[in-house]
Amino acid sequence: MRVIPALLILFIAFPAHARDKVLDIQQVTSPGGIKAWLVEDHSVPVIAMQFGFRGAGGALDPADKQGLSRMLSNTMDEGAGELDSQAFQKELRDLSIALSFGSDRDDFSGSLKTLTQNKKRAFELTALALTKPRFDEEPVQRMREANKSRIRSSLTDPDWITARIMNDRAFEGHVYAQNSGGSLSSLERIGPEDLRAFHKNNIGKNNLVVAVAGDMTKEELAATLDQVFGGLPTITPPAPAADLTLQNTGKIFVFKKEIPQTIVEMMQPGIDRHHPDYQLAQVMNFVLGSSGFGSRLTQEIREKRGLTYGIYSYFIDMKHFDGLQVSTSTETKNTAEMISLVKVEWEKMKNEPISEQELQDAKSYLIGSLPLSLTSTGDIAGLLLSLQMDDMPVDYLEQRENRIKNATAADVQRVARELLDSSKMITVLTGIPENIPGAVPIEKLPNVE
Amino acid sequence: MQRPGRIAVSLAAALLLALPVSYAAAVKKEAVKEEAPVRQKIFNAETFKLDNGLEIVVIPNHRAPVITHMVWYKVGAADEDHGVSGVAHFLEHLMFKGSEGLKPGEFSEKIRSLGGNDNAFTGQDYTAYYQSISVDQLETVMTMEAGRMRGLNPPPEQVVSENKVILEERRQRTDNDPRARFAEQLNAALYINHPYGNPIIGWADEMAALTWEKCKAFYDRWYGPNNAILVVSGDVTGQQVYDLAKKIYGPLRPVPLPERTRAAVPPLEASVTVRLEDKTVHQALVQKAFIVPSHHQNAKESLALQVLEELMAGGPTSRLYKALVVEQKIATSAGLSYQGSMWSDGDMDLYAAPLPGQKPEDVIAALDEQIRLLIKNGIPEAELSEALTRMQAEAVYARDSLSGPAMIFGYSLATGATIDDVEYWPYNIAAVTADDILAVTKKYLDPDNTQKRPPVTGYLLPQEIPPAPAEKAAP
Repeated sequence: MRVIPALLILFIAFPAHARDKVLDIQQVTSPGGIKAWLVEDHSVPVIAMQFGFRGAGGALDPADKQGLSRMLSNTMDEGAGELDSQAFQKELRDLSIALSFGSDRDDFSGSLKTLTQNKKRAFELTALALTKPRFDEEPVQRMREANKSRIRSSLTDPDWITARIMNDRAFEGHVYAQNSGGSLSSLERIGPEDLRAFHKNNIGKNNLVVAVAGDMTKEELAATLDQVFGGLPTITPPAPAADLTLQNTGKIFVFKKEIPQTIVEMMQPGIDRHHPDYQLAQVMNFVLGSSGFGSRLTQEIREKRGLTYGIYSYFIDMKHFDGLQVSTSTETKNTAEMISLVKVEWEKMKNEPISEQELQDAKSYLIGSLPLSLTSTGDIAGLLLSLQMDDMPVDYLEQRENRIKNATAADVQRVARELLDSSKMITVLTGIPENIPGAVPIEKLPNVE
Repeated sequence: MQRPGRIAVSLAAALLLALPVSYAAAVKKEAVKEEAPVRQKIFNAETFKLDNGLEIVVIPNHRAPVITHMVWYKVGAADEDHGVSGVAHFLEHLMFKGSEGLKPGEFSEKIRSLGGNDNAFTGQDYTAYYQSISVDQLETVMTMEAGRMRGLNPPPEQVVSENKVILEERRQRTDNDPRARFAEQLNAALYINHPYGNPIIGWADEMAALTWEKCKAFYDRWYGPNNAILVVSGDVTGQQVYDLAKKIYGPLRPVPLPERTRAAVPPLEASVTVRLEDKTVHQALVQKAFIVPSHHQNAKESLALQVLEELMAGGPTSRLYKALVVEQKIATSAGLSYQGSMWSDGDMDLYAAPLPGQKPEDVIAALDEQIRLLIKNGIPEAELSEALTRMQAEAVYARDSLSGPAMIFGYSLATGATIDDVEYWPYNIAAVTADDILAVTKKYLDPDNTQKRPPVTGYLLPQEIPPAPAEKAAP
């Protein structure tokens, strides 16, 4: 039986963090030149490490092998070096180490969480998975079947169906229109050799980004970085995809499904995270629909009229596209009313400045709520990773706070006028809505079979 | 609105701290009493009680200058009168629709404007309201929460529009998706004559007939300081919270509380199968559901069931996944899930998602076979000790959170557990033996035990398309 250090059972009350900065972010460089951002916190014996590989996401999937990057994320923790799938997973499980990989359209990522007492082996297993994944036939087949099962299961989920159609129509002609989770047939065409090649070509030291939070010092992390990532090769960075203009704007697509509600998604162009007005747009969207209770969309559509259980608007941030999307659902007969009520709020936001109260509430929330999302080591590491993946400066959180503090109602209205345009919306409906003028039927789900 | 899921499973699922090795060994040998070490608590929560009956739990956590403030009422959907299903959950919604000093909707708006988040949820045995916010707003949120403990007064038009909202919620969560409808039907078949058989959100017809009068009656009967637990975690001390709570919640008068009753599930003699075929289903699901004791009903058996769950379904190298998914290749997922944090009966679900071409009945048989193997061959010592170690590591991770520990204390206390049950859970789990686990497996899950209560077997299946008529009709 493993010895559990006495450390674990002590409850040491550490002094609260210095509070002049949102987060005390340290920048670390290893002797081998690998960089990372670190937030130390020794109050719980847990370490969270998250890392990303730029450009290694689903946008690289060949059209006939959609889901390749996703499959890589499913299989990289299924055996490495001398350890086959069961042996590798058993070690993780016995040491309570959470190691997993993920993939979105743009990037590939990994996440490690370990107790301090097991960190040595946790880092060894992570290095092994990164540099010597096995891709044995058995786990590859198992993960292929698991993905197909997920797709079949999702076919009963109207939210999933709506999102699939939105991606297909809004990004028509661009690689983002592909199904990054794969299709029932494309998954069949992905084998161990494809995974090996994708891994070799796209997982490298030079597209790596690392973030760590928890029970680890700067000095220790510097040495650890070389142990975990030092064995990665230098790769030729993947060619970036083209930037994308939103397609099929002004159109309404309907997928027929016999359910009591209509699922509604509406999207128009958004704003880049590097744009000087980005924080003003966040203030605007807080008032419009991101905040749930108190937002205008929730107030008008749920609270006053009882037309939905939930309605939200939110920004979509991708490498080559920025969108502003509304998602909701309503009883079938209210579909047309729902769409027009959303557009009314769009116009109102452009035509009148927000009230002083709305402005102050948005500022207090956007600034004051940040610490609430940073209460676990995993949350903190996740934020550090996303800031780096988006090329944000290390003082981004302070800059953000200043921009929000200085916003005026006139600024917000200017941004609303420049950004909001309901004529540029693409709309997707799933259900059996009637009386939707100009609705284009979708007969078959794209990139699913 | 939530059904207690994996997090509510158990003191097991989310908890505790590593045991000193010496203590675990001492338990196994049941010896060396004179050297009994001081037992370490996981969270070191501080507890108080006000004169009006309000229980208080404080879990200091000084990582960031924020707090989570929760009020748990020891009442839920299972306390509803027959025929008014959904009233507990509808009341939870109306709690945001106007109370002492607050207009409809103002509660959440004010929390947002102070940089905080708030929400609420309803279970079978509890209803909880919470805010996460900067520590300097603790007094404000307490004042607002105390104001709606006895002073709820939503205007009638708000009740009408919110009734539409909960019906939309039901359509969105349940009616739109055959998987949710299947779960609801299976649950109704399992808990015969027992309130847990009703969905927390309610049956649609009864929800549509809910009125303010019905909500008010439920509110007056159950909402008061003597039926509530205040849980605060974050950057505070016990004394600070106690002093504030005494000032703000202290003046509230206790209410006369009815006894909490749950009709018993009668003996079942026939075996029941729930079968939902739907043309929109493309991935089948099979399930066997058993009534088993909750922690509140039988702590010893519940602890054994928690370890059984870990052995059978604690990850990709556990028994069920390894057998059905990795080796036999007849399913894409397989597991066992225990709902043990209930005031009344708990339940255990064996489940799998069959691969296409597999007969659903064969997959059920393969699940049964794994139970038989466990009973026949026993549990190797190494496998058991590894499971216990993993469960105890979960305790350290549980501390890496602000609201997680508050949740654990809330649902545990609301379903009849004690503070010590939570704080010393690792010691209790470490004392579980292979014999304990085999005993509960035989008693409740053994497919060959004809004395046990029969389970409910469920099949969610794609609708068979009737074969096309033959090309040539018979003459």
